[in-house]
Amino acid sequence: MIDEIEILIVEDNASDAEMTIRALKKNGLTNKILHLKDGAEALEFIFAVGNYAGREIENKPKVILLDLKMPKVTGTEVLRAIKSDERTRKIPVVILTSSKEDPDIQECYDLGVNSYVVKPVEFDEFQKAIFDLGLYWMIVNQPPH
Amino acid sequence: MNKKPKILIVDDRPENLVALETVLRDLDVELIKANSGNEALKATLYHDFALALLDVQMPEMDGYELAGILREEEKTSRLPFIFISAVYTDNPNIFKGYERGAFSFITKPFQPEILINKVKFFIKIHQQELALSRLNEDLKNTNTNLILMNKELESFSYSVSHDLRAPLRAVHGYAKMLSEDYSKQLDGEANRLINNIMSNGKKMGQLIDDLLEFSRVGRKELNKTNVSMHQMVTNFWDELKNECDYRNIEFEIKELHSVKSDSVAIKQVWVNLILNAVKYTKFKAPAVIEIGSEVVNDEIVFYVKDNGAGFDMRYADKLFGVFQRLHSDDEFEGTGVGLAIVKRIVSRHGGRVWAESRLNEGATFYFSLPKI
Repeated sequence: MIDEIEILIVEDNASDAEMTIRALKKNGLTNKILHLKDGAEALEFIFAVGNYAGREIENKPKVILLDLKMPKVTGTEVLRAIKSDERTRKIPVVILTSSKEDPDIQECYDLGVNSYVVKPVEFDEFQKAIFDLGLYWMIVNQPPH
Repeated sequence: MNKKPKILIVDDRPENLVALETVLRDLDVELIKANSGNEALKATLYHDFALALLDVQMPEMDGYELAGILREEEKTSRLPFIFISAVYTDNPNIFKGYERGAFSFITKPFQPEILINKVKFFIKIHQQELALSRLNEDLKNTNTNLILMNKELESFSYSVSHDLRAPLRAVHGYAKMLSEDYSKQLDGEANRLINNIMSNGKKMGQLIDDLLEFSRVGRKELNKTNVSMHQMVTNFWDELKNECDYRNIEFEIKELHSVKSDSVAIKQVWVNLILNAVKYTKFKAPAVIEIGSEVVNDEIVFYVKDNGAGFDMRYADKLFGVFQRLHSDDEFEGTGVGLAIVKRIVSRHGGRVWAESRLNEGATFYFSLPKI
C-alpha cells in the first residue's frame, strides 16, 4: 500500500490538509493519497529511510503537494533535498502556500519547483485550484519514463 | 556638547609654551601642553583635539615628524596643524601627508593677532566639521532605522498575509463543507447564518489582500518610462467592457497626454478609478463615464468623470484614506482601499489627487502628474 502512493500531501495545518484531501476526492481524484504532517517525515518517506525504510524509493508519487511554512523541516528544505537528488528530482513538486508575499517564491523556482500556488481563502476557489492541480498532474501531465 | 575645543601646543621650551598660553588666553579654548613629540602623542590618546600648534625645531622628534605620525593615526588623521618655526626658509615639503588635512605656518617672532586669527579660523572649521559629522551620524542612524523598519514591515506583511489567511480559509472552508454536506438537514435560517459566515470570510480575505496591495504599492520601486495613457485606458476599457455588457455605459476617452511614469503603478491608478466609476454608476442608465486630461501649469491633470452616486463634499477629505468609505457595503461593495492606493501611487510620482462631486449627481476624480 505505502508503495502505491500517487499524491503526497505535506502539510502541517490539519484544516488545510483536510480541505485539500476533500477537494481531491470530491472531484473524483481518488488516487492514493498520503498526508504527512511535517517536512522531516516527508523526507523519510521520499528517501525511504527511518519509518519508511522498507519502501521502494523507485515508487515515486506522481506529485507532491508541499506546504512551505512548516515546523522543523520547511518546505523549501524538503524541495531542495528532492531536487538535488538524482533519484527524486524528477518528481513534480507543487508548492502550496498561503501568501503571495512569500519571500521564498524566487528561491523555490531557483530550486526547480514545478508549480507555485497560493491557496485562495474562498473555499470554492480553493477546491477548484486543488482540483485543477490534481487533474493536471494526475491525468494531463505525461511523466518521464 | 558645549565643551571647549582643545588645542594641543607642543614646544620643547617651557617659556615658549607660556608665551603661547598668554597669546591664546582670551580664546574660549582649553590648552593642553606637551614639551616633546612623545608627550604630544601621549596626549592625543586622552584628548580629542581641534587643532595642534607644533614647534618645528625640537630635539628627538621635530614638528614635521610629529605631524607625520599624527596623520597616520586614525584618531588624529584629520587634525589641523599650525607649524611654528623660527626659520622662514623651512621646506614645508618635509612634512609628508600634508594633503590629508589642513595646516598652516607661522614664523617666530609672530604677531599675536595673526596667530589668534589662524587659531580662530581652524577652530571654527573644526566646529563646523564636528556639527557636520554629527549630522551625518544622525542621518546614518535614521537611515539604518528606516531600513530596519522597512524590513520589519515586509516581514509583518508576510505574516499578515500568511498567518491570517490560513485560519480564514479554514473558517470559510468548514462553513462551506457544512453547507455542502448538511444544508438539506438545516432550515433556511441555519443556512442563512452559514452563508453569512462564508461571505464575511470572503470579505476579510479581500480586506487582507487589499491591505497588502496598499503596503506593496508604497514599497515597490518605480520604474518610469514614457507611458501612452490613451493606449493604456483604451486597452483597459476593451478588456472591461465585455464584463459590463449587461450594463448601458457610454464610455468616452478624450485626449490623454502621455506621461513619464511607472506603467504598472499608473495602470493600477486607472483601473481603480475606472472600476469605481463603473461601480458607482450601476443604478444609472445610461451610465456616462468621461476620461480626459489637460495641461495646467507644470502639471498634467487627468480626470475620470461619471454621472453616478457621487458623494457629499463635506466628507471629501476622507475619500482617499485607507478603509474610509462614504457608502455602505450594501449599496456599493468595497473595502475602502482602492482610492488610498491611487493616492499613494500618485504621491510617489510627485502628483496630487482630489475629487469633486454632488450627492447623486456624479463625481469627478482628478490626479495630476508633473510634466517632465
